[in-house]
Amino acid sequence: MELLRVVDLAKHYGEEAAIAGVTFSAAPGEVLGIVGPNGAGKTTLLEATAGLVGTDSGDVFWLGEALPPSRRKAAMFYLPDGVKPYQERFTIEVLTFFGSVYRRSAADVASAIASLELQPVLRKRVSALSKGYNRRLLLAIGLLTPHRVLLMDEPFDGFDLRQTRNIVEVMRKAAGGGRTFILAIHQLADAERVCDRFILLAGGQVRGIGSLHELRTQTGIPDGSLEEIFLALT
Amino acid sequence: MRSPKTDLAYGAPLPPLLAKELAEILSGRALWTMLLLICPLIGFSFVEAVSLYSEASAAALQSPAAAATLSPLDGILVPTFGSFYVAVTLLFPFVAIRVLGQEKESGALRLLVQLPYRSSTLILVKLAAILAAWAAASIPVLSTLVIWALLGGHLGASETANLLFGHSLYGLLVGAISLFAATISDSSATAAIVALATTIGSWVLDFTVAGRSGLSTWVAQLSLTQTLHSFEQGLLSLGLVVGIVGVIGGLAALSTVWLPPGIPMRVKFARSVACAMLTIVALGIATQIRTSVDVTEDRRNSFAPSDQKLLATLRLPLVITVNLAPEDPRYIDLRRNVLGKLERAMPNISIALAGSRQDQAGKSDAYGEIEYVYGGRSDVSRSTSPREILPLLYALAGTQPPAPMPGAEYPGYPLVANADVTLIWFFCGLPLLIALAWWRSHLPPAVKSPKLEGGQP
Repeated sequence: MELLRVVDLAKHYGEEAAIAGVTFSAAPGEVLGIVGPNGAGKTTLLEATAGLVGTDSGDVFWLGEALPPSRRKAAMFYLPDGVKPYQERFTIEVLTFFGSVYRRSAADVASAIASLELQPVLRKRVSALSKGYNRRLLLAIGLLTPHRVLLMDEPFDGFDLRQTRNIVEVMRKAAGGGRTFILAIHQLADAERVCDRFILLAGGQVRGIGSLHELRTQTGIPDGSLEEIFLALT
Repeated sequence: MRSPKTDLAYGAPLPPLLAKELAEILSGRALWTMLLLICPLIGFSFVEAVSLYSEASAAALQSPAAAATLSPLDGILVPTFGSFYVAVTLLFPFVAIRVLGQEKESGALRLLVQLPYRSSTLILVKLAAILAAWAAASIPVLSTLVIWALLGGHLGASETANLLFGHSLYGLLVGAISLFAATISDSSATAAIVALATTIGSWVLDFTVAGRSGLSTWVAQLSLTQTLHSFEQGLLSLGLVVGIVGVIGGLAALSTVWLPPGIPMRVKFARSVACAMLTIVALGIATQIRTSVDVTEDRRNSFAPSDQKLLATLRLPLVITVNLAPEDPRYIDLRRNVLGKLERAMPNISIALAGSRQDQAGKSDAYGEIEYVYGGRSDVSRSTSPREILPLLYALAGTQPPAPMPGAEYPGYPLVANADVTLIWFFCGLPLLIALAWWRSHLPPAVKSPKLEGGQP
């Protein structure tokens, strides 16, 4: 079943095309990775999909129905990269705020805190959090939202290998419950570890879409890693 | 249902959002710094005002006529609140900008606009937080009212409430300007420049166009400082209130238009033009509302009660043609002593200015004449005093002047007091309490649920 479909999305900044004619779809419970180097258009694609950036053309469909930008926040939630939300507030206050807004119970908030191991920093100001803990706070906010689709920009940035594996586990568990994750990732190894399918993006254009197996078949590299496939396609 | 749930778009509870906005203002330094800065400013103004009032009172205690000229509204409240006005003009924009500027700079705005609230709800809640911040910032000036009462001074309830209401509207107006500046600016620094350019620009406007006529007079009316004059004179003008609320609403609507990202510029500009047009219409309506209430105890904006009563019965149109330039001191006298009071007392009155001094001076000796036409009869006077003009009007109406009502004289409230000792409150006590509250607000919150701390879901 197709939950979300993005068709022919394009966005220009002046003469330069940030994304051009991007089309993809996502299914319930799927972890979809938008993979590409810096400047490939990953962030623009996520923000355009979420309706936070105006587009020159293209449409987004939700269960087959057109979803205008003004209604996309009802369907999906986007967690940007490099945001330190409410820096003067304490971690617990930020989490409680998002929990209250979405009418989450204390148990739900506790579950998000436990999943992301945020207990040591609950009484710390957001401004005092390390990059890794700030990233976990953002992920916890994402888990507290009830949206069926979560868009995340560079969710593993700032994590070491062990932490990345833990976060992948958290995501996998949420995806198992039917949640869809669309992740923009520039580290190909991280992407290969967590994603079911991949959108290979370079220069704002889609160079390949599919699971690792499908991409291997498409490129004719039977045992190729995602890195090798990406290099072959771009 | 195939579409995403609509309650995920707009159905969230308001209390968490309001609590978050209030906490955002309290957690920043701007409000606390403003509070600390205005304590000595307001304290000094208050003590000076009490000192001058006491000097005048000492002389007036021997003379009932002199005592009747002593009103705490003019002598204490207006000068003390004047220093608060300066603080709000110069410092409050920094407090108000914070409600959005911080979120813009940290990137949290992109989270905020995805929350299940309409953009208009987000802006209105931010305005509510700004009003709460103004209320907190007014604590030092409110404490002067308590101290004045403790010193034995008199406070007229209606005129004090009216002045407070005027200042709250002014604070909200400055807040709305700052919020809009924060909405259209990339950084708080730019927003502060925009907001201060507007508030301080009003002062420049006042100085530049003072004493001029024509377009300059109209431009001068756009100055923010105009908003407080009526309230300081003890007038509650419905038209002015509607005008200020209209401008605040217009700025809030503009902020709502410019807040959400992802909307094309041309759409934002088109919506902004619509907002501006609606605001202009609201201002146009406001200028046509003449209703105002004199809330002063000394009834300075009204004639004697017997005259007010009789003038209200004169139903025919009264047409007054004034051959004076608007900047002429005689016209200003006439406006304050007669025309403004007549507009409030009589049901059907129209006033026309014949032209500027330059127009009049070379043409005739009519400059300075004021013509009154009532019921087909007319008369001309050069006086600006109601003692001469009211009998003239009664003669035109063919009625006898009313007999004065006994017991309606304003006694005045002279008070000889020394408020120097209260400087301790403004320079030490209150700043200490503010610093204490600041420190308290910065303590980490208690994590109430063991589930949260222990991490056991």
